[in-house]
This record gives sequence, C-alpha cells and structure tokens, in this order.
Amino acid sequence: MRSFRHVRATTVAEACALLAEPGTRARANAGGSDLLGALKDGIYPEPPDLLVDLKTIPGLDAIEADEAGLRVGALARLADIARSEPIRAHWPIFSQAAQAVASPQIRNVATLGGNLCQEVRCWYFRYPAGLGGSIDCLRKGGPRCPAVKGDTRYHAIFEGRGCFAVCPSDTAVALAALDAIVVLEGPGGARRELPVQDVYTPLGTVLEPGELVTAVRVPPPAEEARSAFLKFTVREPIDFAVVSVAASITLRDGVCTDARLVLGAVGPRPYRALEAEARLIGGPIDERAAVEAAEVALAGAKPLRGNAYKVPLARSIVMRAILAALEG
Amino acid sequence: MDEATQIRLTVNGRGHTLAVGPRSADVAPSDTLAHTLRHVMGLTGTKVSCDRGACGMCTVLLDGRAVLSCSLLTVECDGSSVTTVEGLADPETGGLHPLQQAFVDHTAFQCGFCTPGILMSTKALLDENPEPTVGEVQEALAGNHCRCITHYHVLEAVQDAAGRMREAALEPGPTVSESSSNAPERDVATGTR
Ligand SMILES: Cc1cc2nc3c(=O)[nH]c(=O)nc-3n(C[C@H](O)[C@H](O)[C@H](O)COP(=O)(O)OP(=O)(O)OC[C@H]3O[C@@H](n4cnc5c(N)ncnc54)[C@H](O)[C@@H]3O)c2cc1C
Ligand code: SF4
Ligand code: FES
Ligand code: FES
Repeated sequence: MRSFRHVRATTVAEACALLAEPGTRARANAGGSDLLGALKDGIYPEPPDLLVDLKTIPGLDAIEADEAGLRVGALARLADIARSEPIRAHWPIFSQAAQAVASPQIRNVATLGGNLCQEVRCWYFRYPAGLGGSIDCLRKGGPRCPAVKGDTRYHAIFEGRGCFAVCPSDTAVALAALDAIVVLEGPGGARRELPVQDVYTPLGTVLEPGELVTAVRVPPPAEEARSAFLKFTVREPIDFAVVSVAASITLRDGVCTDARLVLGAVGPRPYRALEAEARLIGGPIDERAAVEAAEVALAGAKPLRGNAYKVPLARSIVMRAILAALEG
Repeated sequence: MDEATQIRLTVNGRGHTLAVGPRSADVAPSDTLAHTLRHVMGLTGTKVSCDRGACGMCTVLLDGRAVLSCSLLTVECDGSSVTTVEGLADPETGGLHPLQQAFVDHTAFQCGFCTPGILMSTKALLDENPEPTVGEVQEALAGNHCRCITHYHVLEAVQDAAGRMREAALEPGPTVSESSSNAPERDVATGTR
C-alpha cells in the first residue's frame, strides 16, 4: 500500500473540512474493509495522500429507536445493527441485510456509512495495478467502459448508463424498501437528506467533495407490514449478491394496501420495481399475484451480453421474496 | 483532530509503545496490524494469505472481537488490546489452551495455515456463547477458509472444546489442558476414526 498521512478526526465539521481542502487527495476511512483493499490493489489513478479516520468522532455510531422511528449513525458497525433488538423487532430486513454482508470479522468493523458508500466490485474497475497495471474506465474518469464488450456476468440489467457496475451494498436494498433517508453533511455545516436510492448515480454517488453520510433515518414500520430480504450468491458463506430482493408488503383484511419491491445488484442503485408494486396493491397476495408481479418487475430489464441469466433469476427471487414476506 | 506520533497496544497482555515513523521498527500510517504483529513484534503465528479481507487467516481479537488484521491500520488500533494465537497458551506453563488441545486431539488441521485464524474466531465465539449449536459454529467460522477441507474435524473440535471449557469454568484448576477424555477414539495406524 502506498503511504499516506493519517489524521484522526474528532468532529464531522473537521472531517468535512479536511476532505474538501483543495489540492489534497484525502479520503475518509471508516471500517476500512473496502477502502484498504482498493488501496492495496492500487486501483485509483490518483491514490489518496491523506486518510481521515472517522471512527474517532464520538457518538457517530449510535443506534436509537423510538416512536419517531430509527436513527442509525454512519459509524454504527454492521454486527451491532444485525444484533440490535429494536432493529430485529421492528425493521427485521435491515438487520438481515446487515447480517448478509461479508463475514463475522468484517461485520465487526464494517460500518453502515462505509457499506452505503463502498466502491463497486466491477472486476475491470478493481483490476489490481500489480498485475500488469490497473484498468482505466469511465467511472475512474477514463474515456470508455471496457466491461460492455467484456465479461459482464455480474453487471447491470437496469439503469446502466455509460457504466454498468452494480451497487454492491446489501443494506441499501433493505433500507430502500423501508423508505430510509440518508443524512449527508458537508463543509461549512451544509446538510441535506435524500432517499437512499437517490444517493447513487450511474457513475458513482451524489456526494460532493467533503460530504459525508452521517446517519440513516428509517420511519416507523406500518403495523401490518410484513417483509423479507433474500440474497442470491454464488458461494454461501461470504459473497456479494448476484441478485437480492427486499420486499415489504402491508396487508389489511387480506388485501394489499402498500408494497415495496426493491432489487439489489441489478443496477447502479437499489432498483424499485414501481410497476410491480402497483400491480400488487389492491388485491390479495397469493402465488399467482407474486408470479405476475415478478413478471412485471423484470419486464423492463435490459441485460448485457453476458448476464441475461440474471433476468429469470431475479424474477424468481422477486416472486419468492413476496411469498416469504407473507410468512414474515 | 490529531496525527498519532506513537501507538500504544496491549498484545497478549503485554503493553507496547511504538513510534509512528519511517524506521523498520516504527509504524507507518499505511501499515496493517498484521504487518506490525508479524514484522515488528515477531508474532508470526498470525498468518496472511489473501491480504484482502477474504480468507480469515489473519484473524485476531481486537478488544475481544474477531477482526481481520490484514484489513486494519495499526495507527487505528491505538489504545486497543489485541490477542493473537500466541496469547492462547498458558503464559506461566506454556500449556496449550483447551481449545488448541481439542484441535490437536481431533486432528482439526492438515497444513495448519488456517488454524491460528480459526482458533481466534472460535475463541471469540466461545467467549460470547459457551454452548453454541453446530449452526452457530458454522456461522461464526463462515469467514475462515481452509484449503485442506478440515471443516468437519473443526466442527467436532469446537464442540468438544466448548465442553472442556465449560467444565473448566465449573471446576477451576490446572487440569483442563491435560484432559482429552472427550476425544474420539482413533485408529492410530491409519489416522482415521
Ligand atoms: C471479502 C469481502 C466480502 C464482502 N462482502 C460484502 C457483501 O456481501 N455485501 C456488502 O454490502 N459488502 C461486502 N463487502 C464490502 C465491505 O466490506 C462492506 O461494504 C463494508 O460495509 C464497508 O464498510 P467500511 O466501514 O469497512 O467501509 P470503508 O472501507 O471504511 O469505506 C468504504 C468507502 O466509503 C467511504 N466512506 C466510508 N464511510 C463514509 C461516510 N460516512 N460517508 C461518506 N463516505 C464514506 C470511504 O472513503 C471508502 O471510499 C465485502 C468486502 C470484503 C473484503
Ligand atoms: S462497468 Fe463501470 S466500473 Fe466497470 S469498467 Fe465499465 S465504467 Fe468501469
Ligand atoms: S489475510 Fe486477512 S483475510 Fe486473508
Ligand atoms: S489446514 Fe490447510 S488451510 Fe486449513
């Protein structure tokens, strides 16, 4: 790993100011489980000369739940989110998604903010400099995307534009199904709030230089809401999703009154299948309704050369997630 | 905000103070905890294989939690307590920890490269949950790979170790590390059970 200066931030304002300083190539470090791998592989054309440790900012790891909902600080660790009693009781798919990330050792250090802001896993983007030179691509500011004409088996089937890497975050998928809001703070006290799926663009995130995720807010769950989070991986113990689905369904007297269907690892952001949600609302939920909604959810998919298999796979996981939610 | 000039670490119960700087005995800001343990402190029991967070070979305990020492910066461990595989044995007698003895008794390794990491993940599990189910052991060890396919032996060793450690907790005394009464009978000639 190339050397860098390392500072320990004690306030958000301080961290934002350092990261925004013109001329520095500073980066925030939270759990480091994603960033250190990227730095060791030398994937950045301009590697950071300064790391700003966010873990030294007191209080940013709090998990607070009350009638107004849930508020989780960006530095909360995934292991703590997974085992949090209030989260397991009221927002179970958030706990399940946190538990689905990586391995126990990684969840012991990995943070929520880092999970949301992690870099994509596209293997061209991640190609190590030590093996013949890193690969320049559109997402790194280069001229083109080498993936489109290459091996796209894990790439996008929705909403790709220029870049076809998928958002790898598991928690973002569950959070999108829970209508979560991400709190962003930037230099000079700037602050804004965005629905989680709006944090991502086809080429990265909307974060400005110096801007940090400081918290995630989740509204209280509807009383009759039931939910499920399913993640399909190639290997069971540790792996990124090939497709994941978070479903949240509200039933009153056997009729669906509200629904969220969010697909993960299919596009640059968690993909909300709005038309499929609309199809579910107003009717009973049974196997036929689930099959039809899954059909609608994947109708607009645009697979690349190497990933057409993801369409029937995602369809089947959407269907299973709807049925699993009924049980949940 | 500050920049560390020295790092205080407690490793296997012993305090260390390391300067942050460019000499080989110092800690560079980009040094991983695995590097510091192995190359500065000489604690080579902790292994490094993938160096990318994917295999679990480098697992140590950081303030009691199992973590990957290849994916942590030493400067970010300032003030923490680290336990490595060298810290398992009895510091007075050098006798193996019951967990280590169970791995020996069950031949729960072949090449042994993954073993320090597996032992440390298991230690973290049993400290928190002295009576885990097989499923809980599998979950706790999901981040530890073994290329020699010793998983089945490991599961047996962990269950056995958990039993021995519970017994040891009930009747405190120095006898635990000798007791291998729960070990399965073994055909010595073939090494199979
Ligand atoms: C073997 C392995 C398996 C993995 N499996 C999964 C998986 O199944 N699912 C999954 O989702 N992830 C997985 N990951 C990726 C990663 O470990 C997790 O996403 C983790 O949650 C990242 O959190 P962190 O705190 O360690 O992030 P860091 O590495 O500290 O940060 C990641 C990035 O986000 C930026 N960042 C960190 N915090 C903030 C903040 N508050 N505001 C703005 N930017 C910030 C950093 O600058 C960096 O660019 C895996 C990683 C490995 C090595
Ligand atoms: S898909 Fe995106 S990240 Fe991958 S090579 Fe193309 S531009 Fe780069
Ligand atoms: S060496 Fe640390 S996880 Fe592989
Ligand atoms: S015993 Fe060889 S890797 Fe596990």
